[in-house]
Amino acid sequence: MATDTDSGYIDGFGQVSRTTGTIFRYLLLAATMFGIVTLAVLLVYVANDAIRPLTADLGWHLTFFLTLVVPTAVVGGYLARRNVPALKLGGMVVGMLAVSLLFSGGVAIVFVDIIPPLTGLSYVVGLLVPAALVVVLTKYEQQIPFTLRVAATGAAFVLSLVGVPGYFHSIPEIVRQLPVVPADWMILTLVLGGVAAVVVGQYVARIREDTTAGLAAGASALLLTGLAAVVGPALGVDANAAAVVTSVAFVPTVAYAGGAAVTRERERIGLLLAAVVIGGSLVGAAAVDALGFAGPQSWVDWQFLTSAHSGSAENAGLYPAIGGSILLMATVAALSFPLGVGAAVYLEEYAPDNAFTRFIDVNISNLAGVPSVVYGLLGLGVFVTYLGQPTGTVIIGGATLALLILPIVIISSREAIRSVPSDMRQASYGMGATRWQTVKNVVLPEAFPGILTGTILALGRAIGETAPLIMIGAPNVLFTLPTELTSKVSAMPLQVYAWSSLFASEDFYTKAVPAGVVVLLAVLLAMNSIAIVLRNKFESGN
Amino acid sequence: MTRNSDSVLSRRKFLIASGATGLAGLAGCTENNTGDSGGDSGGDSGGDSEGTDSSGDGSNELSGTIDIAGSSTVFPLATAMGERFQSEHSEVNINLQSTGSGGGFANYFCTGQTDFNNASRPIQPDEEEQCASNDVTPVELKVATDALTVVVNNDNEFIGEGLTTEQLQTIFSAESAPTTWADVNSEWPDEEIEIYGPTDASGTYDYFIEAIIGEEGPGHRQDYSATEQDRTIIQGVQGSEYAIGYLGFAYYSESTDSVQAVPIENDAGEFVEPSLDTALSGEYNPLSRPLFTYPARESLAEDHVAEFARYWMENSTSREIVADEVGYVPLGEDEQQEMLDTLNAAIEEAN
Repeated sequence: MATDTDSGYIDGFGQVSRTTGTIFRYLLLAATMFGIVTLAVLLVYVANDAIRPLTADLGWHLTFFLTLVVPTAVVGGYLARRNVPALKLGGMVVGMLAVSLLFSGGVAIVFVDIIPPLTGLSYVVGLLVPAALVVVLTKYEQQIPFTLRVAATGAAFVLSLVGVPGYFHSIPEIVRQLPVVPADWMILTLVLGGVAAVVVGQYVARIREDTTAGLAAGASALLLTGLAAVVGPALGVDANAAAVVTSVAFVPTVAYAGGAAVTRERERIGLLLAAVVIGGSLVGAAAVDALGFAGPQSWVDWQFLTSAHSGSAENAGLYPAIGGSILLMATVAALSFPLGVGAAVYLEEYAPDNAFTRFIDVNISNLAGVPSVVYGLLGLGVFVTYLGQPTGTVIIGGATLALLILPIVIISSREAIRSVPSDMRQASYGMGATRWQTVKNVVLPEAFPGILTGTILALGRAIGETAPLIMIGAPNVLFTLPTELTSKVSAMPLQVYAWSSLFASEDFYTKAVPAGVVVLLAVLLAMNSIAIVLRNKFESGN
Repeated sequence: MTRNSDSVLSRRKFLIASGATGLAGLAGCTENNTGDSGGDSGGDSGGDSEGTDSSGDGSNELSGTIDIAGSSTVFPLATAMGERFQSEHSEVNINLQSTGSGGGFANYFCTGQTDFNNASRPIQPDEEEQCASNDVTPVELKVATDALTVVVNNDNEFIGEGLTTEQLQTIFSAESAPTTWADVNSEWPDEEIEIYGPTDASGTYDYFIEAIIGEEGPGHRQDYSATEQDRTIIQGVQGSEYAIGYLGFAYYSESTDSVQAVPIENDAGEFVEPSLDTALSGEYNPLSRPLFTYPARESLAEDHVAEFARYWMENSTSREIVADEVGYVPLGEDEQQEMLDTLNAAIEEAN
């Protein structure tokens, strides 16, 4: 402070005072906290209504306090002081298990209830056959002209999936008409367990730098899934459910934890935290069961998650809406991802800088801010009125929501592509690569985690949208899962809205609505957590 | 790395062993593909979701989609019926939407998008024309009786023993459109009237005009808070001492603590409070009204739609569903028989 004057007052600078600065600082803090605290209070209120922790016996709370909270706090506290990376690893494993369990539920809805396993298998086979052909074709890349390869690839997929009507059936049809087919749980083991096995096998092969180890890991993953499906019924778990949960949740978590235990010696102690949390939950659950303590009479229970709407709030459930949201998300992702990433690659890598592209730039940014109800009206106008599609179907809802998040996907993908250092492009060009080769081999792999993060966050926005679905005439009440792209669809936020507006009773307001909100938020948080983990990995990678 | 060769051998053995086990399992656990395991219904049948089940017996194996839109007043009743029907026929998908009677006819039913349209007033001639131009033939079925309920705030005491139909007409008509309660009755407080009601897409709105304001008259005033969410009407009236609104009885019966129903003067000059009993006995007039659902005769050709319509009519006398769960007056036996006859005739004509 250059205070040469005696008065402490400088022209044009104002009074120098520490108090003003302090007040300003705390005002800023208040501004920061205001929104978060308000929302947190609201969420706690809703969660309390939905889960009702106070309805549980004191013994129930005490048991879990002793078996879960205390050990976790002790181990966590120790790790927090001694070994923070280990704490992070432990938290990661617990979080991964929780999120993947949630997702295994979603996968089970899709691959058991929406798509019958046999149908799923038939399409997997129908896709694998031409895919194998493509792999073979790629091997002989040099010998076969490009156009012929493209034509052969296209023809292979069309022939396999559609067949030639009148001459021979498509492969999915042939598979479905086989005289003897595997049982449902075997199909699930084969398909989902197979995918998990490939992922786990690759992961293990990479961290161990040993192909054989990878193969063994993959085989044991597949075996574990099959084993779970066989043993499950003996323990009272449906074989299909056991196969899905094992392959989607347990196998990846176990592989990740096992991999960390082997490769990260300094941090492996963190797995103790995961063991304490999981073990504590199991022991606690067994203990309250044995001691006969009643848990909280939560409205978010199995019945709520697996049944449809009902006239009484106690029996009302979210199942068709959960399935509808999943199908909508799949449609939205399938539509907006290729379009959005394609547009982003073009605008970043190919487009010249002229008035036209600047015009497009400005408009994409503006479109990202257009209210969702306007997109709903657009969907209604274009798909329903103009194209004459039936109202409120999965495909219409998905297309409308895809339009809604398309600008966000484009913008975030462009950010990710722009953050790829231009040195890498130059190096690629310097080695004689074409622009297409550079995009394919350098830019997209490098930008992919960022693109994925942006897309997941955008999907998170789409899953919470209500207005566009109301506009396109999605039904307020639906009793069964949508099973086709042309079925009517409901979604979680829409169901919550219907309960809160059309079923005026206090019962729905205090039971079904908070429970629906909690489930919706849990799904949203799970999606966002994946995005955050991906982003962190991406950032630490650079 | 040295133990690698060892472990490869043992792993190979392990793989062979597990492969053999897997094969044995595969042989044991396959099932005969009977074709009706639901395998091919989901994937590629695509386009027409309205298809009935192909198996000819048709007695229990109903399947297909039923789309229902229309009146928010009938919506809870349709939902209750749909829920029960669906639990008996798990292959039938029932989709319900609350759009208002008029909105449902104009945007969904008469354009052929829905199979049923609920209405809290009879279909109007211009709607019948629109339906006819799209080859949709509505079949009128009465499903219950409602007591259209006028509600005011719990703290409202000046209303006294009730409102006359003339006073109601004064409050809601576009001609007089009083701004304060004192404009209606000079003994009432000089406070602004806050008015809540359904939108003009609603059958409740249409019925109110017919019964109170008069079709030929100046019409319903438009400077009021219009909403298709009956809960919003209840909340609005609950929030202001000088508010008034009207809605179907079912929603009022869910929130009798939040607002009070106004007794209305009937043709005998008595002030009668709305209730299931007074609506049934006819004492509560002129605001008790019939509720309808309109199946499209073309849709009744499909077994699952016809069966649902029959189910609804057969249960329309059920006190448990119609009165206790939803809050409307069930049909009498005679009315029910009449509706069943109408329905059966329509189904026969459709096939």
